[in-house]
Amino acid sequence: MKIVVAYKWTRDPEEASARPDGTVDWSRAKPGLSTYDPVAIEVARQLAAETGAELIGVTVGDKGVGTPLACKAALGRGLDRVVTVEDGSLADAGRSELAAVLAEVIKHIGDVDLVVTGDSSMDVAAKMVPTVLAGELGWPAVAEVTSVTGKAGELRVGREIPGGAQVLEISGPAVLATSADAAAPRVPGMKDLLAAGKKPVEHLDLAALKVSPQNAVMTVTGRSLPERKVRKGQLIDTADPAQAADELLTALRQAGAL
Amino acid sequence: MDFELTDEQQLIRDAVREFAESEIVPVAAEIDRDHRFPAELLPKLAEMNLMGMTFPEKEGGAGADYVSYVIAVEEVSRACASTGIIMSSHNSLATWPVYKFGTRAQKDRYMHDMASGRRLGAFALTEPAAGTDAAAGTTTAVRTGDGYVLNGSKMFISNAPHAEVYIVFAKTDPDRGTRGISAFIVEGDTPGFAVGEAEHKMGIRGSSTPPLYFTDMRIPKEALLGEEGEGFKIAMATLDGGRIGVSAQALGIAQAALEAGVDYAKERVQFGKPIANLQAIQWMIADSALQVDAARLLVYRAAACVAAGRPYSTEGAMAKLFASETATRVADRAIQIHGGYGYTEAYPVERHYRDAKITELYEGTSEVQRMVIARSALR
Repeated sequence: MKIVVAYKWTRDPEEASARPDGTVDWSRAKPGLSTYDPVAIEVARQLAAETGAELIGVTVGDKGVGTPLACKAALGRGLDRVVTVEDGSLADAGRSELAAVLAEVIKHIGDVDLVVTGDSSMDVAAKMVPTVLAGELGWPAVAEVTSVTGKAGELRVGREIPGGAQVLEISGPAVLATSADAAAPRVPGMKDLLAAGKKPVEHLDLAALKVSPQNAVMTVTGRSLPERKVRKGQLIDTADPAQAADELLTALRQAGAL
Repeated sequence: MDFELTDEQQLIRDAVREFAESEIVPVAAEIDRDHRFPAELLPKLAEMNLMGMTFPEKEGGAGADYVSYVIAVEEVSRACASTGIIMSSHNSLATWPVYKFGTRAQKDRYMHDMASGRRLGAFALTEPAAGTDAAAGTTTAVRTGDGYVLNGSKMFISNAPHAEVYIVFAKTDPDRGTRGISAFIVEGDTPGFAVGEAEHKMGIRGSSTPPLYFTDMRIPKEALLGEEGEGFKIAMATLDGGRIGVSAQALGIAQAALEAGVDYAKERVQFGKPIANLQAIQWMIADSALQVDAARLLVYRAAACVAAGRPYSTEGAMAKLFASETATRVADRAIQIHGGYGYTEAYPVERHYRDAKITELYEGTSEVQRMVIARSALR
């Protein structure tokens, strides 16, 4: 059995800042595994431990996703090997484009029985890639997954849904997006991290994958910061409640609020 | 010269920080308040392979480099200085001398259990009348036919009584001064071995430091670590490394205090704006940030010397002296930034302040570090 975990190496938006023109300055944001991807790795790792499956990490994206640091960070979490596609042209890639590249990587690996992803990426948080990826592969997509057991071709998938729980049985390969709290990610120990550098890493060339061009291209054409309302900073400084109320009413009328 | 950490060192920092924030931070204030040794953390530290970081995997360790080790001590201490010294004293003071000076038989008996964290270790050198003057100890080890009989006492022994393995120093030849001291590996369940009541300390209250008493305690000759008369040399060599562990502990305390001061300065509003906008506060933060960074460079430099197999006695003394005095100053400033709130248990800075002071005292006082540095400079 082969289980692929599609993970994202990106930057933490909490460490980014917005420039006056609305673009985001990521330069001071530390790169790392997207917040919920360690959850996906842990869910997949537990299934792999039960079934003896090979656990393969896959990531595609901008320069940096294939660096030794990025690969070791993912491998230290328990993956057996990783496959990366690192290409500057993917810096501003949309969800469909990334999913199309991921699908080609999964076809390249071959005989994959299951793809597991995190709930959403910490930088974009669109929750789209797993579904689009499943569409590219022609497989079912299941979101909000809390558990997965069974073996290749006989998977039992648990979901938390509004009002209760759902159990699905899936007979073929599938793409599962784990819920944010599906498993407690295990912090890698020192031995895990030191062994990560000895595990296999395969870097694929984007051009060689021959990804089909997208029918529709999404381009960001405008950015702006939220409008900031200027506060008047007007203070009603009186101990007399009646006078305070009068002053407030006057001020609100003058401002056109009443 | 490259100031970048390796991939592994960066990942170890991230992992230990994640571990410390999820497992250690939640209990740090409570174990301090209750003077409680956090025994429940020992299996978790062991699972993270933090209890034998630098020892080879075949000896039960993680096989990490020494810089990674000080980063781990720094991160654990940033969360809780008590847990930092529990880990550091086990690694540097108890396990290291077994690895460095032990016979193959002694390593086979102890290394795997100690380096994997299954058995906790302690280092017993200090006595009521022998602190900095370590050679003034009065504990004796008298040779018998098949071993030794120990009598005497030790005090301020970190990790006792939770430790199972103790490196004990005793005089085998009282007339030979430092050359009459020998080191022994003593198991905590040996008849004649007793542990006194734990000290009530100003800081690092989660770290247990009771006295030990030896009364006609018989140990086999196989318990001798190194040769007879080598104890003082073993103690000093062990403390050279231990100091780097304490310097990393001090660095972690200083970093925690710096971050607490910065966070509070951004949040606390006085005169209609965050106090971080006030130059008086900015100067305090600037001095603290500068000193923490300088301390980090000294600590990592000392660790890099160990990793490279170069001499590190002076470098370790410099790192320990500067990092410990930095921890005290930065924690002091952090309280000043907090104002009256900083003097209460509502904020962690008063704990950082109390924890910081010990780093100027144990594993060689600041005066001893200055002596070591001066000897090197005047050579």
